Amino acid sequence: MIRALLALCVAGALAACSSGGSVPAGGTGSGSGSSSTSSTSSTTTSSSSGGTTLTNFATVTVDAGPAALNVGPNAYTSTNSPFVSVTICAPGSATNCQTIDHVILDTGSVGLRIVQSVLNTSLLTALPTESDASGNPVGECYQYVNSYVFGSVRQADFAIGGEKVANMPFNVMGDTGSFSSVPSSCSSGGGTETNTVQTFGGNGILGVGTTPTDCGADCQVTNGSAAATYYDCPSSGCATIITRNASTVAPFQQLPNPVAAFSTDNNGTIISLPAVAPAGVVTLTGTIYFGIGTQTNNALSGATVLPASLSTSAIGSGLVTATYNGTKLPISYIDSGTNAYYFVDSAIATCKSTGFSGFYCPTSALSLAPTITGTNGTVGNASFTLYNAETSPAATSNAVPGIGVNPNVPPPTTPITNSFAFGLPFFFGRNVYTAIEGRNAGGVAGPYFAY
Amino acid sequence: MILFRLSAALCASAAAFLIPSASLAELGGSYSGVQRDQAHLHAQLQSQTRAGLTTHVMTLAVGSTVKEFTNASGTVYAVSWRGHGKPDLRQLLGAHFNTMQAHYAQTRGRVLRHAALVNEPSLVVQSGGHPGAFWGVAYLPQAVPAGVSVTDLQ
Repeated sequence: MIRALLALCVAGALAACSSGGSVPAGGTGSGSGSSSTSSTSSTTTSSSSGGTTLTNFATVTVDAGPAALNVGPNAYTSTNSPFVSVTICAPGSATNCQTIDHVILDTGSVGLRIVQSVLNTSLLTALPTESDASGNPVGECYQYVNSYVFGSVRQADFAIGGEKVANMPFNVMGDTGSFSSVPSSCSSGGGTETNTVQTFGGNGILGVGTTPTDCGADCQVTNGSAAATYYDCPSSGCATIITRNASTVAPFQQLPNPVAAFSTDNNGTIISLPAVAPAGVVTLTGTIYFGIGTQTNNALSGATVLPASLSTSAIGSGLVTATYNGTKLPISYIDSGTNAYYFVDSAIATCKSTGFSGFYCPTSALSLAPTITGTNGTVGNASFTLYNAETSPAATSNAVPGIGVNPNVPPPTTPITNSFAFGLPFFFGRNVYTAIEGRNAGGVAGPYFAY
Repeated sequence: MILFRLSAALCASAAAFLIPSASLAELGGSYSGVQRDQAHLHAQLQSQTRAGLTTHVMTLAVGSTVKEFTNASGTVYAVSWRGHGKPDLRQLLGAHFNTMQAHYAQTRGRVLRHAALVNEPSLVVQSGGHPGAFWGVAYLPQAVPAGVSVTDLQ
């Protein structure tokens, strides 16, 4: 297992070298990177910038995921999950460090979270927990749509590519000791606890969404409601919910969006992935650039900018309005951490096989033409080809384009039909910009998506 | 993050039929339950009644809105939520919370792992969104009054 992961890391590093400094070209199919089983490689040539070596990028890999997924009775491999490697060190140490591969790159959430079991014991024991006003360690619960994680908030020196954050708080999912028991107010949101690599789907997650911290104002008052909940964790366990300040500079309290906490290139990201043929590929390699309009390789040129909803919005943050078949869907979003298109179209056949329940299985590829409208009325074309999820992808493919899920299947039709989720297939063949709320990104105020 | 699994082991799903509880459960319970929910959520409550059907809107300090829908006999037949976080569904769904959780457990290790999920003759739960923007609805199909469209329950 270690050997296999090492091989992946080496491949990733080489890809990063070959694409470093390249300007992400706007337009379908021109993203930097490569797909290992496709006959064409779309890696762009590298460009030096007046002798300056740019380091504001990291390799993104869409592959089968960490080996720990594919063991035991619930074995599976990842599909359309983008992974990055991150390095964390004990605060101030240059040697007590660990590079962690297969960390999910998620534009739909915020904060760094790592499963406790993947951390070396020597590193884990050297990572201090955040302390609250009572002098007790801080714990955190974080909700996803159908799952939740819980663990400690520890501090580490964080690095990805050439970007760094010192003493950055992150969530150690499934941490032990005071954090071993999940508070009932955490599990009361429903869904499954996903504190292991196999249940979570990766060794961790790097949330680089549209908000500067993972809870904002919601965690600065009592009785707020947010995806994140912070706890006072004496040795007897975590029960009392505490307020935490939102800061993207030290001293931190809430988990910051790691990009927002960089000293530079801190206004957003660009994810650049190559286009993928209908059969899919075993491994897809692309790049995440840090910063928008801050270097020669991350200009906002030629992209359609679609402002998204604010963290103070009643409906929530990071939302745009999709229009599909003439109907406006006001709670839509673009999300690298969602691995298919999720939308409702009862006219398109869904798959009959049990294993593909809910997926669309059109008899032939369909051209669909959703658009996305930003909060300022700007409209972007989001057309794509929907493929049969059961018969189109090769069995070995881990990156698969144009697959969709109807969340209302099986019937009866359920009420929520006003959302269109543009998951990872939307990112294939595009440069997708995610700008952070409150930051000027390439001359335009975040939050926005652009592509 | 919504992840599905394409190559997980399959297991047959055995539909567990459930009789809606009329006791202390909030969903399927009475108006007094709505008031308990309001207190539990520290929310402001506004109620609107039309043609015997009442919508109770609970607004939390920041971040979320919860709606409970009662029929002419005062039974909560649907609950919906929208906002930055997920509300206390154990409180809002009452006995039906365990039914929902049992479905999540069944889904585990199967091919699909994504939003939505309980779809039985006696209980429907659907949810969606991403951290910072969640929404969902739970209702008892057999208790939904005639003339009410489930698309009105958001």
